[in-house]
Amino acid sequence: MSREASAQRINGAVGMAVFLGACAMLFAALLFAYAVVRAQATAWPPPGTPPFPRGAAASNGLLLIAAGFALRRARTRGPRWAAAALGLGALFLLMQAGLWGRLVAGHLGPGTGALGDVFFALSAFHALHVLGGLVAIALLLRPRASAEARPRRLRLATLYMDFVAAVWLIIYVAVCVA
Amino acid sequence: MTASPPPPDAAAPSHAASPSPSWVSRVFSTDHKVIGKQFLFLGLAFLAVGGVMAMLIRWQLARPGQPVPLVGRLLFPGAGGVISPAAYTSLFTMHGTIMIFFAVTPILIGGFGNFCVPLLIGTRDMAFPRLNMLSFWTMAVATATLTASFFVPLGAAQSGWTAYATLSTAIGAPGAGQTMWTVAIYFNGVSTVMGAVNYITTVVRLRAPGMSWFRLPLTVWGFFLTSILNALFVPVIAAAMVLLFFDRVFGTQFFIAGSTIRAGGDPILYQHLFWLFGHPEVYILILPAWGIVSDLLSFFARKPAFGYRVTVWSLIGVVVLSCVVYGHHMFTTGMSPLLGESFMVLTMIISVPTSLLFLNWLGTLWRGAARMRTPMLFCVGLVFTFGIGGLTGLYLADIVADQYLHDTYFVVGHFHLIMAAALLLASFAAVYFWFPKMFGRMMSERLGKLHFWPTFLALNVVFGGQLLIGWAGMQRRLYDPSAYEFLAHLLPWNVWISRAAYVLGAAQLVFVVNFFVSLRWGKPASANPWEVGTLEWTLPSPPPHHNFDVIPTVVRGPHELGHPDALARGKDWLGQDEVVS
Amino acid sequence: MSYLTLSTGIAFALLVLVLAVTLLFHRARARRPHAHYTHGDGLSARLLTAAVALTLFLAIDVTLAVRATQHLRERFWNYPDADPNALRVEVTARQWAWTFRTAGPDGRFATPDDVVTLGDLHVPIGRPVYLKLRAKDVVHSLYLPNFRTKIDAIPGSTTRLWFQADEAGRFEIGCAQHCGVSHYKMRGWLIAAPEDAYRGWLARAETDSRLRYDPADVTAHEGWDWETGR
Repeated sequence: MSREASAQRINGAVGMAVFLGACAMLFAALLFAYAVVRAQATAWPPPGTPPFPRGAAASNGLLLIAAGFALRRARTRGPRWAAAALGLGALFLLMQAGLWGRLVAGHLGPGTGALGDVFFALSAFHALHVLGGLVAIALLLRPRASAEARPRRLRLATLYMDFVAAVWLIIYVAVCVA
Repeated sequence: MTASPPPPDAAAPSHAASPSPSWVSRVFSTDHKVIGKQFLFLGLAFLAVGGVMAMLIRWQLARPGQPVPLVGRLLFPGAGGVISPAAYTSLFTMHGTIMIFFAVTPILIGGFGNFCVPLLIGTRDMAFPRLNMLSFWTMAVATATLTASFFVPLGAAQSGWTAYATLSTAIGAPGAGQTMWTVAIYFNGVSTVMGAVNYITTVVRLRAPGMSWFRLPLTVWGFFLTSILNALFVPVIAAAMVLLFFDRVFGTQFFIAGSTIRAGGDPILYQHLFWLFGHPEVYILILPAWGIVSDLLSFFARKPAFGYRVTVWSLIGVVVLSCVVYGHHMFTTGMSPLLGESFMVLTMIISVPTSLLFLNWLGTLWRGAARMRTPMLFCVGLVFTFGIGGLTGLYLADIVADQYLHDTYFVVGHFHLIMAAALLLASFAAVYFWFPKMFGRMMSERLGKLHFWPTFLALNVVFGGQLLIGWAGMQRRLYDPSAYEFLAHLLPWNVWISRAAYVLGAAQLVFVVNFFVSLRWGKPASANPWEVGTLEWTLPSPPPHHNFDVIPTVVRGPHELGHPDALARGKDWLGQDEVVS
Repeated sequence: MSYLTLSTGIAFALLVLVLAVTLLFHRARARRPHAHYTHGDGLSARLLTAAVALTLFLAIDVTLAVRATQHLRERFWNYPDADPNALRVEVTARQWAWTFRTAGPDGRFATPDDVVTLGDLHVPIGRPVYLKLRAKDVVHSLYLPNFRTKIDAIPGSTTRLWFQADEAGRFEIGCAQHCGVSHYKMRGWLIAAPEDAYRGWLARAETDSRLRYDPADVTAHEGWDWETGR
């Protein structure tokens, strides 16, 4: 790799580190809000809350993790795997939308109670971040995108999707399991 | 020394005569110098908008209930030119929001940060030029959202720039204006974080060979440290805005207290999230100013910055401490004594690095050979106003005094002395100083001085006066202070403060004239009109698109003025890349 | 607060003095065109700077913090929970008025004989007045300018404040937290009277409240049990 390319690669890594740090602070603040809401409640989940469909939430999460793996494979096995990651990610978003619909119908939507509030706020905002990552993957897969830059961008996108999957795991454990 | 190696095209880059750029590539330019100017113009425009709002607020306080002359019927048609209580609450809300997020941030951080950082560290552009361009246009989207919020039914946001819950939730603030406000702040934050990613990566990775950390101009340190705080804490207010948006639009209850029938959150949660960001934010705004002034005092006193290393460590100390002092904004909320005392002590401790920084300024001036040009006047003005502003902070750090002074005009005077006076003076110093480099022309010295003196004197009267009426007990955010008997005697004070404010406003017209006339007809600027050694002054004014033909190699720090080697060569400064045989 | 003003005033005067000296005498002049070249990083320079900063820190910050902590622990945060003489008042803040409730002859809150006043707080001089505050809608702040104090009232929690009036008089009450368009009109009066005058007022107020008691007027009976908070 040329010196310039290697320098650019490190720049990208530094930039991504700062960006992920900022995102981490955002989700930490949201989780802090969740902690406060939970501490204020007399019991958790608050009495009268319908049971939460953990299974559905977990299987959606698996889709996201699978997307991360597919993206990682793309580095060695070619852009098809990146397209697969894109598809899996999009499927995750669709399934999340479906889950939200189900929650709203089952009186677990936002505004119905503290658990609904928390899950909806965290998961909706998380989904927006997933969407952003998918847009980035789509952009680097464009035919007009620079093929030379693709490996570097793929690496950065992988870091980001790993982060987003980790955040989902944390949200799942903190909200759905605990 | 970890500067990255110069890019392979370090030798004079070959420029095939390129066709003149399309308007698209000019509007969506990725050149940091262009983006810097875009931010600067956006910020200056909104500084004017925020300033006009301040004039309106001062009118109402001096002449409660009377129609505003000239523009009253235009702005407040439904009320016959009188500012209604609802309009007044929007005015002070939007004045604060605009000044902090849409004036000072774009001018200093977006404008001068973008323009100066690559030039001062000796590189061709920011690490991520396209991200840079996106950051400006995201700011533009935020600005458009905020502007649009004026035109919705029920008008713009009204809960103060601090937007405490539950006044800012659907309970206290129905209407789309407040919701749009949260969206605008959110996108402003996105723009800022994009900028932070860029500035941090650029300073860490793209410094010219020889530009070690302790040879960086303090201006760069200011922007670098500000970006670290931005990256860490802007996301926290973004989270607060997200949750507020959800509370308003989706009926969640993060900031609305729970009841026996429905578990909920806590309005105080909002205050914690807000001030976790809000306190670092004031340091975010002042750090670039501190950096710029530290450099400029040295440049115009013609001697090195006194105690450079101590200054750098003090700035870092302020950054670290700023994370843990935010509770001093909440001393009257009934927080636990342990928490209160801790915040008080930590807030007091932050005055140590701040005072070191300040003493170093005095040390720089001491036994100097000062050239009192316009940028220097503004810097000295900042030293003065920051002195008062900083000392009055101690009054508010003391919990006992704060019980009385919280939410009075003493707070308003304190933060305006720093946020408005010191920051404005720093911004003007930066404009006068870098205008030649940005636009290739000198601004008028005479008009500069004519701008400075009324501005400086009026700033002190307005905000010093506010310290005094706050001391007398006048609360903030009052539509009509004469509603209170104990404040009735303060009306003459408010009248005089308002008059000084009008003078302040009028004095800025001198700046506007100077700026635009000089842009067109100013004396052409040489490469280094100020005779200083930082790298941007080795380039033509304005610099070419690619900045440096050859990436410089740095051999010394940025403040080598009055150096014996220089004097031996018949001048009193040495450039950072100037080799002395 | 006078130590605060004195110490910061002296610090500011010194600052102005140094600044004035540099601006008057340390400028570029024909006979002394060059500055004194120093980076200020020598030992003596650093020691001097450190000494000044430390002196300022000790003389102002540390002294203030110690004095404040003392006052806070001995007085401000020393709530008269155990003092049977303290007058207990529940304060409800709403857009845009203050209501004050005392317990009435039975000594218990949220009973029909409570005395509720709108906007006016009557207190006796010479004994502690203990306030607990709640807000109904948004955050307000009970501001007693003459007593140099204020406390926020926050929906969903109960805050508290205590003070003691030592002289009789009428003192204005204000709101010190932006709470909507009529924030500027949210005021009241604190009327401090000698004990017997206060008792006279209280007796009349209690009789009045017994006469006017209307079980259907839910708003008038808003309040909570002092001890349990319910």
